Amino acid sequence: MLRRSLRLRLVFTFGVGALLLSSLFASLTYFSVQRLLVDNQQQTDLRETFANAALVRSTLYSSPPALGALLNSIEAATNSSVLVHTHHQWLSTSHGAATSDVSEEIVHAVDNGQVLHQTISTRGELFFIVGVPIPAVETQVFEVFRLYRLEHSLKTLALVLGLGALVTSVIGFGGGLWVSRRAVRPLLNVSRAAAAIADGELTTRLLVGQADQEVQQLTESFNTMVSRLVARMERDARFASDVSHELRSPLTTLTTTVSVLEQHRDELSPAGRESLDLLAADLSIFQSLVDDLLEIARSDAGSLAHVIEIVPVAELVRQSTRSAAQRLRIAEVPVEVSEAASALNVGVDRRRFERVMANLLGNAAHYAGGATAVRVESTNSHVTIDVDDAGPGVPADERESIFQRFFRGRAAHDRSLARGTGLGLALVRDHVAAFGGTIVVLESPEGGARFQLELPRREGDAE
Amino acid sequence: MSRILIVEDDDHIRSALRLMFEGEGFDVDDAPSGEVGVALFNRMRSDVAIVDLMLPGISGFDTCQALRSTSDVPIVIVSARDETADVVLGLESGADDYVTKPFVPAELLARVRAHLRRRPTSAGSFTLGRLRVIPDEGVVRDHDGTELHLTSTEFRLLTDLASVNGKVLSREDLLERVWGYDYFGDSRLVDVHIRRLRMKIEPDPANPSFLVTVRGAGYKLVL
Repeated sequence: MLRRSLRLRLVFTFGVGALLLSSLFASLTYFSVQRLLVDNQQQTDLRETFANAALVRSTLYSSPPALGALLNSIEAATNSSVLVHTHHQWLSTSHGAATSDVSEEIVHAVDNGQVLHQTISTRGELFFIVGVPIPAVETQVFEVFRLYRLEHSLKTLALVLGLGALVTSVIGFGGGLWVSRRAVRPLLNVSRAAAAIADGELTTRLLVGQADQEVQQLTESFNTMVSRLVARMERDARFASDVSHELRSPLTTLTTTVSVLEQHRDELSPAGRESLDLLAADLSIFQSLVDDLLEIARSDAGSLAHVIEIVPVAELVRQSTRSAAQRLRIAEVPVEVSEAASALNVGVDRRRFERVMANLLGNAAHYAGGATAVRVESTNSHVTIDVDDAGPGVPADERESIFQRFFRGRAAHDRSLARGTGLGLALVRDHVAAFGGTIVVLESPEGGARFQLELPRREGDAE
Repeated sequence: MSRILIVEDDDHIRSALRLMFEGEGFDVDDAPSGEVGVALFNRMRSDVAIVDLMLPGISGFDTCQALRSTSDVPIVIVSARDETADVVLGLESGADDYVTKPFVPAELLARVRAHLRRRPTSAGSFTLGRLRVIPDEGVVRDHDGTELHLTSTEFRLLTDLASVNGKVLSREDLLERVWGYDYFGDSRLVDVHIRRLRMKIEPDPANPSFLVTVRGAGYKLVL
């Protein structure tokens, strides 16, 4: 089903409205003029027939043989033919009209003393017939008028009116188009600005400019709303960031003193050593959590200063995969780059991309038996990076929620598995979005999970 | 026995660091401010320095500059600030390395040790335009004999690039060769030092003719 469009409706309303109105006026005009013209013509013709009938009568009284000459002269002078019917037979023939044009009924009616007129259509032409009785000599005079002039005038009128209606409708459609564009433009601007803001361009505002009053009101309230929302977001994010920041100093002392305790491990009792191990393990989780929280808080605030570089994707993925493997102390993961993708560039913040790869590979190592391969391929406008693992895959109903903050899947209910911060994948998605890309989780051909990153291809010289 | 200077205003962190480095066999000097740190350094001539960025009085950046103005001592910044702008500014003010808080103690130790055990380079003397680089003496001379001052990291970067005879070294290679890191690499370290080096040796640093970037691969030195 087509979605209702305001523009379309406006254009349609204007156009169809113009069409209906102009057609109505054209029809009214046509029919009134037609009636007027026909009435006029008929009255003129009636008068002429009476006059001619008088001539026929006087000729029949005075010198009946001259009748033929009279009829011919009338026919020559006008565009009508006079037919005379007397004592049940036709007295004259004519070039312009045939006696058969006058029906039996009309002859009979005129014979009975009535004046009659009738419009008939024959041989593709319109004729107006007037019958006048001359009872004194049992004669009926019929005059047949050809109406081609009238027809021609009416046709011309119809053409002119039709064209007028057409032009009016076109103007109506045009006006609709113009009005709708003007009316809809502010809406489109608002929708574009809202989309930009949703994409994280928080500085986007509508231009107030010289708009209509209503539009200006909309613009101003929209801008106010956005400013308030942004201020609020910034406050929230700053709070999270401040909290994490304040945690850093005590955390530094903790990790450093734990390492000092590690140096003196041999002097500790077995219970002391076990406590130290527990302390060290949870401290490292705490540290990752603070790290992730801080990074995610800043990414929320939009203040995460991304340093986007254009880099060749092959080198980027190989290097990030290698350094992540080293950092995580896991086996190297093979990287396969397709022929088509090997020459392509992407725009990323190197450090944050490394973080993305480290989080994905780390997840695979901790929860899914390790990553089996990293594949880089190209599509029309994007580069895809697949990270496959050897685990059981992600259940279909968790494939979206797995990217939520602090999400714990069914597989992670075992406490020994639930050792992550719960922010790793949320951070991955935030970072990838900041590079203009997307990430989804699919099923790999081997049945494990496949995390698929899609980054836009970027032109330009790589650094 | 190596001597380490710790400039850190947080008492707890300073004490913990002191304990840790002493436990690892270092002689430790610690200072709660940049001023005290610089004075202490001038007296004790430490082998390596750790500097916090947010200090009372003169900032960590200024402290780095003050240390650098009199010595080539390796400086590692340890800061809670990890925005790229801070990292770059820290390295620009003369630091050799940058670690963010909370750090992994083993990582900080490994970095400090890496700075201390830098091996001499294998490169012979070579000429770059009007400059003569003499690794044996550790100096770079202009054609009129004036000595050009490079920090040990910059010098190492230059001579390591020279030692591979024009081959390209990736950022990773350089981190491993110059900083001695196996896996702590942050490519910003390399990029900032390359930029500083260009400022010193290139006739037109914006369009380098010796120290060139190789698209997607790394850097190479054109002799």
